[in-house]
Amino acid sequence: MEFTLLWAALTGVGLALLMVNIVKRLDLIPAAIGSLTDLILGAAVTGLITGRLAAMIIAGTSPFTHPGDILIVRSGVDTGFASLGALTFVALTSRRHLAAAIDVLGPAALAGLAGWHAGCLYRGACLGIVSSLPWAVAQEGSNVTRHPVEIYAALLFLIAALALLWWLRRGVPWIGAAGAGALGLAGAIRLATEPLRPSLGSGPFGWYVAAIGIGLIGVWAAMLRARNVAQ
Amino acid sequence: MRFPRFYPAVTVLVLILAGCSAEELPVDGAPLAPTDAVEIEALLAESTQPVVLNVWASWCIPCRSEAPLLERAHAEFGDQIRFIGINVADTQSGARQFIAEFALSFENLFDPARAVPSSLGGSGVPLTFFFEPGGNLVHYQPGVIDERTLALQIDELLRRGETS
Repeated sequence: MEFTLLWAALTGVGLALLMVNIVKRLDLIPAAIGSLTDLILGAAVTGLITGRLAAMIIAGTSPFTHPGDILIVRSGVDTGFASLGALTFVALTSRRHLAAAIDVLGPAALAGLAGWHAGCLYRGACLGIVSSLPWAVAQEGSNVTRHPVEIYAALLFLIAALALLWWLRRGVPWIGAAGAGALGLAGAIRLATEPLRPSLGSGPFGWYVAAIGIGLIGVWAAMLRARNVAQ
Repeated sequence: MRFPRFYPAVTVLVLILAGCSAEELPVDGAPLAPTDAVEIEALLAESTQPVVLNVWASWCIPCRSEAPLLERAHAEFGDQIRFIGINVADTQSGARQFIAEFALSFENLFDPARAVPSSLGGSGVPLTFFFEPGGNLVHYQPGVIDERTLALQIDELLRRGETS
């Protein structure tokens, strides 16, 4: 049995929960929102199941005829559908407090993504396309040096999470803008690093562009709402 | 946090819709050619192209997930890399049904005794081996392979070919 993927997932969840703890300690969670830990775990599980089912169906395998395949997470999880599943869960469970909930969830989600990408160190899956830069790394037994692309992504997600936390602490003037910004940032980081990853196809560029677009629209909508409330 | 009442209903609906793609495919084509460890070792040693060798079985759940990936990789790189499937511990009809279901177009050979993976030092299914021309092993992937790893190792094979 191989548990490297599990370690990577646990690193992601661990960093997300650490960020939740920091947000709690800084007293940034509005009283209307219940347990943020439950919300994150629920969103993560829903996203994982949705993404796995989508990946199976896209690959032509029916979850009904091959239910055991759902558990083989390593076989693929569709990132776009996983994100949609997680966001739908948050929307359905938070309802009237959605904007406030996504604001405090944003840094935790980005920290979780940083942990997931850093988990490449367990899996030996950090390398991307060929590079001759001084910090490029070769895989064992090879002289072909490559970008450590997943480390780049992990660092960018961590910086984004800390920046968002700093913004929340200063007091985000528009409710929902930090959460929408987190979605846009996640899409932008994945889009920026995607060309550095070897791929068999075109990559999920459409999903990343959609995340950036929805994030920007979300920030704009939050600004408009705040302006209307002020008037 | 309260779960919405319709959450289980939505989950069931998604699963029902997901089940709609199930279908039985007709099995046709010639039986898979049998092979053994000696034949594969000779094939690898004489190969002038890099080789991706995947060990699979029709009853293996993870093999179902990587089959479409391997077919995609073969469609894209089949002119530069030789893809070989080794069907192990299986029946001819099971293997042919699997090949038809995933429309696998690369070469597949029949090894019911698992002699090939044993000689290469692997056990279980699925397994994927990446060889340079001449048969030098570059990477061994026990268990299911994901798209990133497959793409990375294919790129590694091609780059090594350029530099050697």
